[in-house]
Amino acid sequence: MSLFSIDVGSQLVDLGSALLLLTCFAIVAQRRLSACVDLFVLQSVFLALTASLVAFLTGIHHIYVAAALTIVVKAVIIPRILKQVIEHVNVKRELEMNVNVPTGLLICGALVILAFFITQPIIPLGFLLTRDSLAIALAIVLIGFFMMIARKKAVTQVIGFLVMENGLFLGATAAAYGMPLIVELGVFFDLLVGTLIIGIYSHRLQDAFDSVDTSKLTTLKE
Amino acid sequence: MSSWPLVLLVAAPVIAGLGSLVVQQRRAIEVLQCAQAGAMLAAAALVAGQIIAAGEASVGGFLQVDALSAWLDLIIGFVGSSGTLYAVGYVGEELDRAHVSLKRYSQFFCLFDMYLASMLLAVNLENIAIMWIAIEGSTLSAALLIGFDRSKAALEAGWKYVILSSVGIALALFGTILVYYSSEHILGVSNEALRWSQLYRVAEKLDPVAIKVAFIFALIGYGTKAGVAPMHTWLPDAHAEAPTPVSAMLSANMLTVAVYAILRFKAVTDRSVGPEFAGKLIVGLALLSLAVSAIFILVQRDYKRLFAYSSIEHIGIALLGFGIGGLGVFAGAWHLMNHALAKSTAFYGAGLVFLRHDHKSLDRVTGLLEQMPVAGTAILVAGVALAGLPPFGLFISEVLIVAGSYTIRPEVAYVFLALLALAFATLLYQVLRMVLGEPGEAGTALGRQCRIFTSAAVGINIVALGTIGLRVPPGLETLLASILKIFGVGMEAPR
Repeated sequence: MSLFSIDVGSQLVDLGSALLLLTCFAIVAQRRLSACVDLFVLQSVFLALTASLVAFLTGIHHIYVAAALTIVVKAVIIPRILKQVIEHVNVKRELEMNVNVPTGLLICGALVILAFFITQPIIPLGFLLTRDSLAIALAIVLIGFFMMIARKKAVTQVIGFLVMENGLFLGATAAAYGMPLIVELGVFFDLLVGTLIIGIYSHRLQDAFDSVDTSKLTTLKE
Repeated sequence: MSSWPLVLLVAAPVIAGLGSLVVQQRRAIEVLQCAQAGAMLAAAALVAGQIIAAGEASVGGFLQVDALSAWLDLIIGFVGSSGTLYAVGYVGEELDRAHVSLKRYSQFFCLFDMYLASMLLAVNLENIAIMWIAIEGSTLSAALLIGFDRSKAALEAGWKYVILSSVGIALALFGTILVYYSSEHILGVSNEALRWSQLYRVAEKLDPVAIKVAFIFALIGYGTKAGVAPMHTWLPDAHAEAPTPVSAMLSANMLTVAVYAILRFKAVTDRSVGPEFAGKLIVGLALLSLAVSAIFILVQRDYKRLFAYSSIEHIGIALLGFGIGGLGVFAGAWHLMNHALAKSTAFYGAGLVFLRHDHKSLDRVTGLLEQMPVAGTAILVAGVALAGLPPFGLFISEVLIVAGSYTIRPEVAYVFLALLALAFATLLYQVLRMVLGEPGEAGTALGRQCRIFTSAAVGINIVALGTIGLRVPPGLETLLASILKIFGVGMEAPR
């Protein structure tokens, strides 16, 4: 591979990672639930594109498989499950949040800085092509974590979890050229089952509490 | 060296679980579960025997057992098989009372067995990422088991569990990725870079900062699953609301498996940056867990939650042992095994009380020894063991941890002793109040079959607890010596 293509390639991978981060902010700022799911689909597509780019530039073929799985699982199957859940629990209206949108965005900004700070010393270890993505991956993980805390509705907590998973996948693919295929397959399987289980729980919570507002889950405390 | 015991150990619960789902017939499921309990127990003993004799066993480079894995195999295999017997009695009683349908009955056993299988798989895997997948598998099956009753409280507990554990396990995966990130430069982009044995071998060449960050993520992530404070908030709810056989397995097995995962990361970190770094972090979290649990044990009004907080305490004690190193590693491993036996016994007793009285209020339970001799004995023996009194193993491990921490950092020993005394007094008081005195409410008597199976489970556990309480059997001693070597005790300190 010529020097030119590595340089441009690394820029492109950075661009893809940045787009992923951008969709994170969009999800945090979004109040409508179904729009959050759509943005998650968009993020997963960006992720698949970035992964394919890494696969193309490095010639490591199994990353293509992981990218294809990302499209199938995260851009098709999981959004369908989530939309069904949303329909069942009937919460299309705006989201309730523990923090308002501007504060949330500021916190996310701080999380990005934190992520770069944590990964600063280990970034030079990585492959030249993709090493900057590790910081972005950690930032996405942290923002997903924040989403799970900041949002009250069960479904948005699931989206926060899925965003975390996207960050992890970016970390594995971009920073370490992908985990071995068997690992990727297992992770996807767990993710799918996990989302299904969380979906089942949302259904049952709705039926039992007449709400998916997790702030109403308060019977169990000291 | 034959590899079939290892395969049998992992395969038995899978086969029994799928079988239970397919046959949907009570007697057949009971036979399957009893067969599974026997097979698991025998296989775990055989695997441990192989390790004691030969040092390690493996199947095709995929499953790999060393002393630490064998130790976990023994714990999960033994408590898993008595737990299976207990579940047959407990859930059978629920079926008799028409609380669950036959379909849900078979679903329960399918999930229960898959849960055991994924934990057994996790501790015997050579690949850290596949171990992560197996542990996540146990999280998912446990999530469905905790919410099995579908009451509001059970759903709430299950939801908390699934959300917190998912976050925790996601952070643990990030730690795993970071290890791979630093090891693939040395071992190449392949499965080799994820194998424990390879990681131990090249640990000194791994980037120290990357390993430190990875360890922090793994500690927080798997620590959430181990119920380490301050990530413990799911634990009391899940233990209190899950069907009791599941509570017993959560406490005895799942927390132990999570500690195992932390230990594996610690072993790599110790070799890479020396034992100080991981040790300090673990000691800090362990003392925090002890403090939190000691306070909440004091104010508990629910007997299942009481035992749940006691689990946080004991996992904290075991971690403290591993954190201080040296003799502490021996004590930590010994503590894990004895805690698993004692805590499952306590929950077996608590479950019988719940079946009889249908409430979990600590104040309304008295005179168990007279009213329900089996449950009373289970809670009394387990309570005395958990409080750390002789002649049980927990006494020995706690004394060793005090001694070990005193020689290294006396202040740790003082804090530990103070917290231990607080938890000891309250737990023992509550347990004695439950078992002694005049029986209160009559409650519903248990069916004959339930009594037989649950008594068997309690009996097996108490016999084991008593047998290993006074002295460490020679075979286990060999295993413990090999575990010490994994953590660099008795060898030259790494780096």
